[in-house]
Amino acid sequence: MTPMKWFFSFVKKYRIYMIIGLFLTMVVSILSIINPYISGQIVDKVIRGGDSSLLIPLIGCLLGTTVVIAILRYLYQMLFETASQGVLYEMRDTVYRKLLAEDFNFYNKKRTGDLMSRQTGDMDAIRHFVAYVIYMVFSHVLMFVFALIMIFTVNLKLALCMIIVLPFTALTTFLQSKEVHPAFRRNRDCFSSLNTYVQENVSGNRVVKAFAKEDYEISRFQKENDKFREAQIAASRIWMKYVPIFEVLAYVLTIVLILYGGYMVIHEEITMGDLVTVNGYLWMLNTPLRMAGWLVNDIINFITSVDKIYKTYAEEPKVKMPLNCTKKEHFKGRIEFKNVSYRADDDDIVTDIDFKVEPGQNIGIIGTTGSGKSTIMNLLCRFYDATSGEVLVDGVNVKDMDLYYLRDNIGMAMQDVFLFSDTIEGNIAYGRPESTFEEVKQAAVMADADEFIMGLPEGYDTIVGERGVGLSGGQKQRISLARALLKDPSILILDDTTSAVDMETESYIQTQLKKLKKNCTIFTIAYRISSIKDADLILVMDHGSIIERGTHEELVNADGYYARAFHNQYGDIPKGFLATKGGI
Amino acid sequence: MARNRYDMDEVLEDSFDMNQIKRLAAYIKPYKNRMISVVLLMLSSSALTMLIPIFISQVMDECIPHKDMKMIIVYSILTLVIALYSAYALRIKIKKMSVIGQNIIHDIRTDIFEHLQELPFSYYDDRPHGKIQVRVVNYVNSLSDLLSNGIVNTFTDLCNLIFILLFMFYLDVKLTLICLCGLPLLALVIVVIKKKQRHAWQIQSNKQSNLNAYIAESINGIRVTQSFVRERENTGIFNRLSSSYRKSWMTAVRYNFLMWPSVDVISTATTCCVCILGVRWIMAPNATLTVGVLIAFTSYIGRFWAPINTLAGFYNSLLTAISYLERIFETIDEKVNVKDEADAIVMPEVKGKVEFHDVCFGYEEDQNVLNHISFEVEQGETYAIVGPTGAGKTTIVNLISRFYNVNSGEILIDGIDISKVTLKSLRSQMGIMMQDSFIFSGTIMDNIRYGNMEATDEEVITAAKTVCAHDFIMKMEDGYQTQVNERGSRLSAGQRQLISFARALLANPKILILDEATSSIDTETEIMLQKGLSRLLAGRTSFIIAHRLSTIKNANCIMYVDHGRIEEQGTHDQLINLKGEYYKLYMSQFDFLKEASATAY
Repeated sequence: MTPMKWFFSFVKKYRIYMIIGLFLTMVVSILSIINPYISGQIVDKVIRGGDSSLLIPLIGCLLGTTVVIAILRYLYQMLFETASQGVLYEMRDTVYRKLLAEDFNFYNKKRTGDLMSRQTGDMDAIRHFVAYVIYMVFSHVLMFVFALIMIFTVNLKLALCMIIVLPFTALTTFLQSKEVHPAFRRNRDCFSSLNTYVQENVSGNRVVKAFAKEDYEISRFQKENDKFREAQIAASRIWMKYVPIFEVLAYVLTIVLILYGGYMVIHEEITMGDLVTVNGYLWMLNTPLRMAGWLVNDIINFITSVDKIYKTYAEEPKVKMPLNCTKKEHFKGRIEFKNVSYRADDDDIVTDIDFKVEPGQNIGIIGTTGSGKSTIMNLLCRFYDATSGEVLVDGVNVKDMDLYYLRDNIGMAMQDVFLFSDTIEGNIAYGRPESTFEEVKQAAVMADADEFIMGLPEGYDTIVGERGVGLSGGQKQRISLARALLKDPSILILDDTTSAVDMETESYIQTQLKKLKKNCTIFTIAYRISSIKDADLILVMDHGSIIERGTHEELVNADGYYARAFHNQYGDIPKGFLATKGGI
Repeated sequence: MARNRYDMDEVLEDSFDMNQIKRLAAYIKPYKNRMISVVLLMLSSSALTMLIPIFISQVMDECIPHKDMKMIIVYSILTLVIALYSAYALRIKIKKMSVIGQNIIHDIRTDIFEHLQELPFSYYDDRPHGKIQVRVVNYVNSLSDLLSNGIVNTFTDLCNLIFILLFMFYLDVKLTLICLCGLPLLALVIVVIKKKQRHAWQIQSNKQSNLNAYIAESINGIRVTQSFVRERENTGIFNRLSSSYRKSWMTAVRYNFLMWPSVDVISTATTCCVCILGVRWIMAPNATLTVGVLIAFTSYIGRFWAPINTLAGFYNSLLTAISYLERIFETIDEKVNVKDEADAIVMPEVKGKVEFHDVCFGYEEDQNVLNHISFEVEQGETYAIVGPTGAGKTTIVNLISRFYNVNSGEILIDGIDISKVTLKSLRSQMGIMMQDSFIFSGTIMDNIRYGNMEATDEEVITAAKTVCAHDFIMKMEDGYQTQVNERGSRLSAGQRQLISFARALLANPKILILDEATSSIDTETEIMLQKGLSRLLAGRTSFIIAHRLSTIKNANCIMYVDHGRIEEQGTHDQLINLKGEYYKLYMSQFDFLKEASATAY
């Protein structure tokens, strides 16, 4: 599919508006030709000719057509505006859906500001095209062709002589559009990059202030701001060359009229009356020529934007919904990784991951920073597809499963807590918007969040800022945990969920988790031994592979990474604390 | 806490638009002279082009009847000259006005951005970031057309209008007055729809802002959305916002579309009146009007209304622009609470003594987060802050960098009240590592260097080595030149922490603040990191917030904070002996071992 075809697929639905709109445009164009004619009649017949009986009917006609033009013009402008808003609405919808369906590979490479520019600035160029440019081009071409035909009926030679502007017009149009295209592309890129820059500056405002880098940020902003300005000015330098050419071409018609028209009248090839008639049509040739340069700009700008939007979303997500997929309302929670490896950007992220989990088991994952712990969970949720090997849930490969059912059965509290600028209640109920307040509260109690939420002035109705600014790290983590718990999932993933909460809170949460229904499989990724010591199976990861596995007891005695971590964290147990066990 | 979310409209102002226009005028002022020169050029060109109809009538009335081909050629050449001149004028206008327009936009954008840099955290916390962004980028952009074409066209048209009016008065006073009768009528139309039109555009800009905020949040929160299978729900919300945007647009644009038909109808109506009365006056026995004058007059009526038509268009875009302008100026006017005092001094080189004297603080007026906090940290000491989540630990360290102003009490560094020094000189001597490790899009090298722009590559690498980030960075495909984006999604949370740690170290701070700096880092790395750090920290004052108590045991002093108060203070051993809250907290981490042994035996 080409970008233009893609664009027209949206227009299709609104073509009836546009056809009626174009028809009305045509009617208005014709009426606007009649109006000066009536005025001319008033001058010729009434004022010059002194026939005052015609005055009232002519004025009636003039007023009548003006009112009709006014109404019809309003109507077609509204029709095109409606069509353009409709096209835009559908396009935004499609693009938004695509955005939600894109996988992590896409998001790892795209910048937020770029994606936003597609939805704002580029969409606006399309709006302008559908709402304005289409009928402007149509009515001007119509006007031009109509005037030309009329001149042809007056005199062939004069008409042919006027046509000589056409090849020049075509050439100028061609050259302008060719030259202005890259300029507009650069324009859009600079817009995107300015947008990205501002977006990051706003998101990173805390870091900027912490490092007192305001001056540096302003100087970086100035670079983007300058670049954007230069790009805009550079583009105007191009149409500065072409728009005046159209202006000259418009006057060339007048010169042809005076020179050749005058010559022909003198040599009695046409009458004086013919010349007056042609002069009357001249504005209908002039006006479209004057507009041409600007319309070429608008059209190219539109083409650039459609291209940009289309190309951003042309790539199909790699993680795709299978065609014949298994749908399951509820999983048991049996999970198996069979020799799973994942590579990205020529980098082995995880290799040969192989383990089995029975329903209701509790799995702990520990390991060095960046060793691939979260990746394993991302493979389970199918945020990425394994490069080799199979991930099975209840014996079915996740690639053959309905993506949404799979994810709906998994509750995930992520390492990097993202909260939406919504109420706390809305944030907890994010995965289950239909849940009652009691359910939300219950989930919050389980995550030990209820107490601090109730302590806030507006309780559950408190609006938290984007990314949950205004809350402490531990508070955010607990809201994110409550959010995952409310889903009542078959598989619960806690990715470093309690790193910012204190020990007492953590142990409270762990007790609560034990109350979860028996068949919920829980994965806990943590750095603190205390978070995972109760697990039925602990996987220790390093450099993308599992280097140790077993229970806490087994691993502590195994003298490996886990045992070392244990000593590092608890090597200084107060004497006599574990008298019954007799040391470790 | 935030006050605004994506689907909430911001407060609309009813204040009169004149204020906004005045402020816009202040931006235009520096370019006044250049604009006047463009207007003069355009006027000269439009005066010259008015000659062309005269040429044509000369050709028809004089040259052709006299078969004077020479004069026809002369007129043709004159027309060509005028054409070239007006093309030249157009070229100059495009050239100058695009520069002026873009410069004004550039200036406004600079002002809003620079002001944003001064605004405190609370401004950013109070609203979705998409709503801030839309003001700096999209709103400012939408002024472009108004500035690069609108203003000059308006002045040119106004001058044209005056010329024509003078000419019309010269031709016939009574007919001109009839013509002018149309203007109050037009004014009436404008007054009637103005309030609604303005309101409609205000709503529209609000809806645009809401939509933008939601898109931004959808992109940033995509992981959560996908893992919570919220796609359908979110698409519904998005389409709701999108359709209220569409609706608001259609309402607003409708008012704009009413303008031209009104001008058209009124102008034709006055033309008709002129014709009727003109004809009557010609026919009258004591005729005061000649046929020639009436014909000339009717041809000028069109020229009288044409500029009014474009002025009406300008009025429309001005009204639209004002709804954006007031948002822009609102941001520029936003009060900065935390700023340099008028007599602020530059903080001398910090040695590192930090004192809190009876500090009280609350984010909201009536709610104190910190109550009467007092403590003293000597130069080079390591101070640890522990306590339950939400106790106010982060707040304490945020006050040291003066991210907020205290409500009462004072904070001294080396005996100097930090509210008396410039923010830049204060903050640039601190290294802060925050809970959220924000990564900018760019290379890893750039991200670390953010702490100190002058640092050489070697210094960056040394900092990375100190925090044990070197190994994993080297393993990435382009090493330090690997591109990361602002969601940092190619890095694990721990790796992001290490990078922002390196960034804080590179700043070579006299006071180092580590807020949960190592929460997502494995203990082995952490121990190596601490070894490297201890050398580096010698002589520097540091504040550490951590939940893993192994991290902070060696601190010179530990303070246990709860409910915004310091409950206990002392070294690890002192606090253990105290057997208070810290002791309980410390012991709780071993509880599980007890349980484990209980079940094992």
